[in-house]
Amino acid sequence: MSQTNDKMNCTDYKKALTAEPGFHDESGHVETCAECRAYSEEILALDKSLNAAMEISVPQLVMPELPDIETENVVSLSSHRRTPKPVWYAIAASVLLAVFVGVRMTGPDVPLAEQVLAHVDREPAALQVSSKPVSDRQLSRAVPKNMATMNHEAGLITYAQSCSINGNDVPHLVIQGAKGPITILLMPEEKLAEAMTLDGVNVKGVILPVGNGSIAIIGDREEQLDQVKENVLNSVMWST
Amino acid sequence: MNTSNAVGERRQRFDRLVAVYYMDMFRYAAWLCRDRSIAEEVVQEALLRAWKSLDALRDAAAAKQWLLTIVRRENARYFERRRLETIDIDNLTASQSALLAEAPNEELNDLREAIYGLEDDYREPLVLQVLMGYSTSEIAEMMGLKQGAVLTRLHRARLKLKEDAADEENS
Repeated sequence: MSQTNDKMNCTDYKKALTAEPGFHDESGHVETCAECRAYSEEILALDKSLNAAMEISVPQLVMPELPDIETENVVSLSSHRRTPKPVWYAIAASVLLAVFVGVRMTGPDVPLAEQVLAHVDREPAALQVSSKPVSDRQLSRAVPKNMATMNHEAGLITYAQSCSINGNDVPHLVIQGAKGPITILLMPEEKLAEAMTLDGVNVKGVILPVGNGSIAIIGDREEQLDQVKENVLNSVMWST
Repeated sequence: MNTSNAVGERRQRFDRLVAVYYMDMFRYAAWLCRDRSIAEEVVQEALLRAWKSLDALRDAAAAKQWLLTIVRRENARYFERRRLETIDIDNLTASQSALLAEAPNEELNDLREAIYGLEDDYREPLVLQVLMGYSTSEIAEMMGLKQGAVLTRLHRARLKLKEDAADEENS
C-alpha cells in the first residue's frame, strides 16, 4: 500500500484508497484511469455515509463526583511574587527566602519543588528582561554534553549557568517569554513519577518528569506555558 | 495564589476539556463497546481517571488523543472485570439495540448495523479514522500496532462494509 509508488496500478491504487481515502496519489494514476476515479468516488461516498452513521446521539453529560485532588501535586506559593527586574535587584536575598516560610508543601516530591523555588529566588539577577542571547560557548558550559544537549529552539536564552540542587549539577537557564523571563532548570538526576504544578500569585510553573530526570519551568502567571513546555521538551535531550 | 485557587483553576481546565471532547469520548466508547449504557459507564470512569491524572497532560494539543486513550483503557478494564460474552447481533439487549435504533433512515440504519457487526479489530481503527479524524500513523500509536497493520485492517473493514451493502441491495 505504498503511497509513493511511481508505477501504481489499479490494484495498488484501490488497496491504498480503501485503507486511507484521504491518501495522495503521487503517481497520478487516478487521473488516467476512469475505473479508479469511479472507485474513488464510491469510497469517498461510503466514508461520508460512514461518518453520518457513526455520529450517534450523545446523552447529556453527567459529570461524576470528582474527588478532591491530592494537594501534594499542587504547590502553593501563597506569598511568592515575581516583580519586574529593576525591583528584583533591590530586594535582599534574605527577604526573598523568607517568602517560603509558611508555604504549604506536602508529599514526597515537595522538597524538590521547595529547592527549585528557593534556588530561583536566590538568583534574581538571572531574571532580567533581555534581548541578548548567551553564546553557544556559555550554553555548552552550563549544559555539558555528557549531561544533555540543548539547542536554541526553547526560545531566546539569555542566562545560562551551572548551579547545584540536591548536590547535583543543574543547568539553570532563562529564556525570554511573552510575559517576561522564564526559568528552566534541567535536572537529569531528579526522577519524578508525575508532573508537579507550581502555583503562585504572579508566577506559575511545573516540574515535568522527563526520562530519568525532570525539568522545571517557571514563568509569569500570564505566560502561556504550554507552548513553552513543548519547545523546551523538544530542545533538550539527556545524554545518559 | 492559595491551594484552593490552584484547585479551582485545575477544575476549570478540566471542565473546558470535557466540554470540548465529551461527545468524542462518548461516541468512541459507544462504538468500542457497542452499548450505550456501558459507554456511559466507561466515560464516567474515564472522566474520573482523567481528572486524577490531569497534571500528566502536558501538551494541550494532545488532549483529545489523551482522553480517547483513557476511554480505550477504561473500556478494556470494564470488559476485563465483567468478562462479557461476545455480542450476538441477532440477540441484542435494549441498550445495545438503542445504538442502532436511532438512525434517521433505512440506509444509515443498515450501515450502522454493518459497522456494528464488524470485528472489534476492524471497527476501532475505522471509527478512529472516519469519526475522530486520525491518520493511520496516529491510530497505530493509539492501538499499539504497526502502521501497515492499521492500513490492512482499514482496507478489510471497508471491503467488508462494501460487501454488506452489496448483499443488502441484492436481497
